[in-house]
Amino acid sequence: MSRIVIAHLNKIYKSRTGDVPALIDINLDIGDGEFVSVIGPSGCGKSTLLYILGGFIAADGGSILVDGKPVTGPGTDRGIVFQEYALFPWLTVDQNIHYGLEMVGMSRRERDEIVRHLIRTVNLEGFERRFPRELSGGMKQRVAIARTLAYNPHILLLDEPFGALDSQTRESMQDELRRLWLKERKTVVMVTHDVNEAVYLSERVVVMSKRPGRIVEEFKIAVDRAGGREATVLSETFTRIRNEVWLSVRRQVGAAPGGADRNEMAGG
Amino acid sequence: MGTVAQRLIGAAGAPPRWLQSGARFVPVVLALTLWQVIVDLGLVNRDFLPSFSDTVAALAHMIRNGEIGLNLFVSLYRALSGLVIGSFLGIGIGLLMATSARADGFFGPLVATTYSLPKAALVPLFILWFGIGDVTNILTVVLACLLPVIVATYHGVKAVPPVLVWSARAMGTPGPAVLWRILLPAALGSILTGVRIALSFCFVLTISAEMIAAKTGIGKLIFIYGENGAYAFMFGGLMAVVIVAYAADRALVAAMHYILRWDDSLHSVTSYD
Repeated sequence: MSRIVIAHLNKIYKSRTGDVPALIDINLDIGDGEFVSVIGPSGCGKSTLLYILGGFIAADGGSILVDGKPVTGPGTDRGIVFQEYALFPWLTVDQNIHYGLEMVGMSRRERDEIVRHLIRTVNLEGFERRFPRELSGGMKQRVAIARTLAYNPHILLLDEPFGALDSQTRESMQDELRRLWLKERKTVVMVTHDVNEAVYLSERVVVMSKRPGRIVEEFKIAVDRAGGREATVLSETFTRIRNEVWLSVRRQVGAAPGGADRNEMAGG
Repeated sequence: MGTVAQRLIGAAGAPPRWLQSGARFVPVVLALTLWQVIVDLGLVNRDFLPSFSDTVAALAHMIRNGEIGLNLFVSLYRALSGLVIGSFLGIGIGLLMATSARADGFFGPLVATTYSLPKAALVPLFILWFGIGDVTNILTVVLACLLPVIVATYHGVKAVPPVLVWSARAMGTPGPAVLWRILLPAALGSILTGVRIALSFCFVLTISAEMIAAKTGIGKLIFIYGENGAYAFMFGGLMAVVIVAYAADRALVAAMHYILRWDDSLHSVTSYD
């Protein structure tokens, strides 16, 4: 059974100069435990899609079902990690991770246990009492991920989670995310503009057109990743798929708005 | 901490910290000296402008005979009651306006039209309604403190990034709890800046109101000595107010530095150095 079913989804932004369509007829099924990346030119509406999935903004037509139920607002079944971390700056690292558990109504004792474990998992021991402003970008992102994992949502929504990190940190965070996904098999929807990242982490990559965004192409990523990052990234299959995805995204960047037709002609 | 450049300069022999912080009093000392010299040289009529030393002597006298202590206590009570009531009301109304279009539509025009109204002008009216005494004095201060706090709270809450509210909602925060769990702490820097403005207003308005609507208080003291031409004593009372108001502002700034120690924009909390 599909965990997330998006059908004929539309989103229009109203502005003084008129209506601006952001998403047109989005159809996407995401299976239980699947890792799907959405990639596309900047401003294509991929973050908007994620925000609608999160229940933060409403769609203007179509339906979006999570576990068979329509999305009407935010919920703890869907955890989100924002690009700009969105940590609560007035809370310490410890308190930030505690927050979601406190909302669930868990006892202090249970919370302490989980938070201690998570702090260790994301390598932040010794920083429990620090405020976010005292942390580097990579550390903030680890707190953001730990905070979302703490209350154990079934679905993870990731909005360019590693966008602001330097490439070294980004790679190690990607590897951590991969390990975590292999272990917990959560359903993950990740929005990114990094082709390498999408292909390295996902089972499926969805390419969107320039604004107004529509889904123009999908790639199954059948890559053997058992050999670790180097072996995977250097492998022929990975290189071939990555190039295909890269060309697909490139076509979208160059294409006229609503360039779906042209892309189909190009043979996908 | 300071930047690398500042630390390098520091290492190369910048003046020590105590000297740097002491430097901010230089203009004040200069002004006081000028004041003393002008009077001592007889450039102005001593009867109309007492010298700095005469003023200090008068203040010392009033401190010794308890005049300052008693009246200062009354004035502080009025000023701080007004500040606290006005701040809490202001935070409440500001929050309401920032989160409800209906409240914004109701309070918005009221705030806009009364913002520049001199609150002291309402004192005669309040005397008519509430008589002479604490109620009139405190009410005047409340009104004066209310507006800057409303405006600061409103803008502070409006400036809270939506992702903070979204992540709170995603983690299961119920709608109303978002108010005090997220919006209030996130806007705290702005709110306290509003309270700081209100703090200066509360002294101004207490003194003004007491001059015409009280039997006690520093404002009344200043007024009576002024009426009787005892200008050294009038200036002494003023000096007491200045010292207390300055100390209160320093205390608030220190408290803000502690409360907002998590805030990246902490450096926006400055003093009038």
